[in-house]
Amino acid sequence: MKKILNGRGGRWRGVVTLSLAAALGLAGCGLNEGNSASGGGPGDGSVLRIGTTTDVSNFNPLQSLSKTDSWILNLMYPHLLRIDENAKKAPELAKSYTYEDGGKTAVFTLRDDFAWSDGKPVVAEDVKYSAETIMKYKLGNVAAKLTWVESIEAPNPTTVKFRLSQPYAPFAEGVGFWMPIVPKHVFEKAGDISKFANDSNWVGAGPFVLDSFTKGQRYVLKRNEKYPLAPGGRPALSQVEYRVYPDVNTMMLALRNGDIDLMATPVPASATKTFANDPKIKLVKVGALGFAHLTYNMNNKHLARQEVRQALSMSVDTKAIIDSVLQGEGRQMAGPISPIFAEYDNPEVQPYPFDPEAAKAKLAAAGYKDGNGDGFFDELTFGVACDQSNPNITRVVQLFRESAAKAGVKLENECVERNTFLNRTKNGEYDIDASQWGVFDNPMDQLRSTYLSSNPGGINYNLLKSAEMDRLINDAAGTTDPAALASKIKNIDKVVHEQAYLTPLYVENFQFAYNASKFTGFVPSPSDLLGMVTAYSLAQVTPVK
Amino acid sequence: MARFVFSRAVKAVLTIWIAITATFFLLRLLPGDPTTLMVESDMTPEMRAALLKTYGLDRPLWEQYVSYLRELAQGNFGVSFRQIQPVRDILLDRLPWTLLLAGTAFVITIAVGVPIGVYAAVHRDSPLDRMLQALGIGGHALFVPSVAMLLLVFLGARLDWFPIGGAVDPDAHGAAAYVSLAHHLVLPVLSLVLVQLGPYALTLRTNMIEVLGEDYIRAARARGLSAQRRVWKHGLRNAILPALTLMGLQLGTLVGGAVLTETVFAYPGVGRLIYEAVGQRDYPVLQGAFIMLAVTVVVANALTDLLYAVLNPRIRL
Repeated sequence: MKKILNGRGGRWRGVVTLSLAAALGLAGCGLNEGNSASGGGPGDGSVLRIGTTTDVSNFNPLQSLSKTDSWILNLMYPHLLRIDENAKKAPELAKSYTYEDGGKTAVFTLRDDFAWSDGKPVVAEDVKYSAETIMKYKLGNVAAKLTWVESIEAPNPTTVKFRLSQPYAPFAEGVGFWMPIVPKHVFEKAGDISKFANDSNWVGAGPFVLDSFTKGQRYVLKRNEKYPLAPGGRPALSQVEYRVYPDVNTMMLALRNGDIDLMATPVPASATKTFANDPKIKLVKVGALGFAHLTYNMNNKHLARQEVRQALSMSVDTKAIIDSVLQGEGRQMAGPISPIFAEYDNPEVQPYPFDPEAAKAKLAAAGYKDGNGDGFFDELTFGVACDQSNPNITRVVQLFRESAAKAGVKLENECVERNTFLNRTKNGEYDIDASQWGVFDNPMDQLRSTYLSSNPGGINYNLLKSAEMDRLINDAAGTTDPAALASKIKNIDKVVHEQAYLTPLYVENFQFAYNASKFTGFVPSPSDLLGMVTAYSLAQVTPVK
Repeated sequence: MARFVFSRAVKAVLTIWIAITATFFLLRLLPGDPTTLMVESDMTPEMRAALLKTYGLDRPLWEQYVSYLRELAQGNFGVSFRQIQPVRDILLDRLPWTLLLAGTAFVITIAVGVPIGVYAAVHRDSPLDRMLQALGIGGHALFVPSVAMLLLVFLGARLDWFPIGGAVDPDAHGAAAYVSLAHHLVLPVLSLVLVQLGPYALTLRTNMIEVLGEDYIRAARARGLSAQRRVWKHGLRNAILPALTLMGLQLGTLVGGAVLTETVFAYPGVGRLIYEAVGQRDYPVLQGAFIMLAVTVVVANALTDLLYAVLNPRIRL
């Protein structure tokens, strides 16, 4: 008995030890990136380590649709234009652009000093190839920006001409900002681009080019020795490393502890105080390129009435929302155009005053009655759909519910899981949609996407079918004179506000945190898509001496 | 024995098939599809249709299911929608980390839980016993991410004893890499062990108390066997059986705990992969991961049954 027991016990121990050793050995295989000798190790002051929330899901910039992917890919693949600190388009690969032929031809003039990391110059043929490939395979969201393109020409290495089927004012801005330029001589060899993973041997022309990565852990980008937008034609940082922290709280701890130097993702408004007493960490505030809003489904017979939408707009206390939800870090809006696009924002338009009593009177005047005396108008019960993973919007819905009750409107909280929410939105299954637009790079694109009855982008959440709006928008879209375009957009701004198709809530301020004792020189751009980590920004960064 | 193993294997295969089928259909019953999250302001219905076609999601459901099973039978888990990479490669990349994390936590829970359980049973109502009882009940109420965050804040950030997240310092080489690996492993393992340990040790304690009251233990005492021997050789051998079953069942919980632990600690395992794939509705990755988990749990339970039989001669197979 004794012998057997010992024997078995020994075997058991052996099995456990063996399996642990096997696990360790397996994990050991993945310890280091195999595909490169890593230079500029820790302690080298010119390695900038950035926290991101998730892995790169797709290394092919023509396909990728993810914000976190773009943080890394945009460092490699240049764009014709960038968005600067003031939300204006600025030259990147393109020096300038003009329209010819009454707005039907957009002509970009490229710089001649951009170079791919394999030594070849970046030329007009690369731009032509990138655009044609996107159109051929209908890739990403850029394909829609190229809708009007009939043909593309590259008459010389620094000129690209897009011939359009009709003039469209923001064409050059949209394509210039959104379209990544890839090296034709590399991508062409890959065959079917829709199946091209692009996950090794990268060739880029941005300030940094991917060198190696370990899934789930980090992405290492090495300096591109020739990058003309960096001071002196070469980035000061020798290396940029992205480290993955799925939980933003962990990422904040990592920044505080010096494991990373910058967070690519904004610090949640409620957590900015964490860094208040830390002399090393600096917070930078930038605006948003989108905004939070309540949008009314016009297929609901009550919400189709202007008085009801206006009354609801008067029942939202946007100032209180900005104070309590965003800790004051937001701007109030009036019409649908964000104040960040100052030249298109109509100053005549003023926000609806917060006045539930007046809203109630307006609804009573419109014929609504509280027959059963429960304090709510009998017919006015609406569901407010939102994405419950967005804590700010969830809170907004709660506050809206409380204030609307004072106006006699009963709201039901229908905040659900993100995919479920997006699916309901897509199918028009909601009364009121509470959500946040991510990035609009220009107001014209925004108005087309949100109010055209043909619903080209699938985000006409009003499900609005208005001949008047269609006419106004199409007329503005074909206007090439900048002053005339601005005044037409201002007019649409006013119409949308009077109709109260939506109640704009706020433009959020994003706050980015970085270790100012180690690095300086970031050039932040608005929105959480761009923030501190644009190619231009990181090319300007220098270590603190 | 052979018959038992055979019937157990058939059951295991059946269970896994059910898991595969349920996963396949449940995922597709979720609202939204892989294109939902890609709502870009400009994606036209045609583009969406084209994407769905690329993913093979435009075909009838049963057709997708049959072709999925056919591929699976050949060991092909499909290709991730988002990462355009074979799911098998993606999983094999992540699996060792989860094995390491869950395996270490498992071993430590047993290594620490057994002596504590036994000690508490022998020294009933001692301070340690009281503590264990509180911990055992409290352990059920502990939420892994909260424990993980607490450990990170105090042992990681405040005291700076352990790194904040990650699995290994990517710049460490050779022996230093293994030291870094172990260093990074401490907090995630600790948070899993803290949650599991109490209930496990408590179960063992209860069994042990029962066993120590049995006649054969008293007989052993009468025969003059030392307390040490009575408790550890005779008592534990019998008391550990129910605890073993519990451990087999808890393996599933351990894996679930790993999803949350890995997310908080930025640990690159399968759990975090699942967390990310759910948000992206990446069906092939989710299916692959769930099948792998189902296989793990089924195999672990089968092994527990076998081990049970080996340890308990009263069970004849």
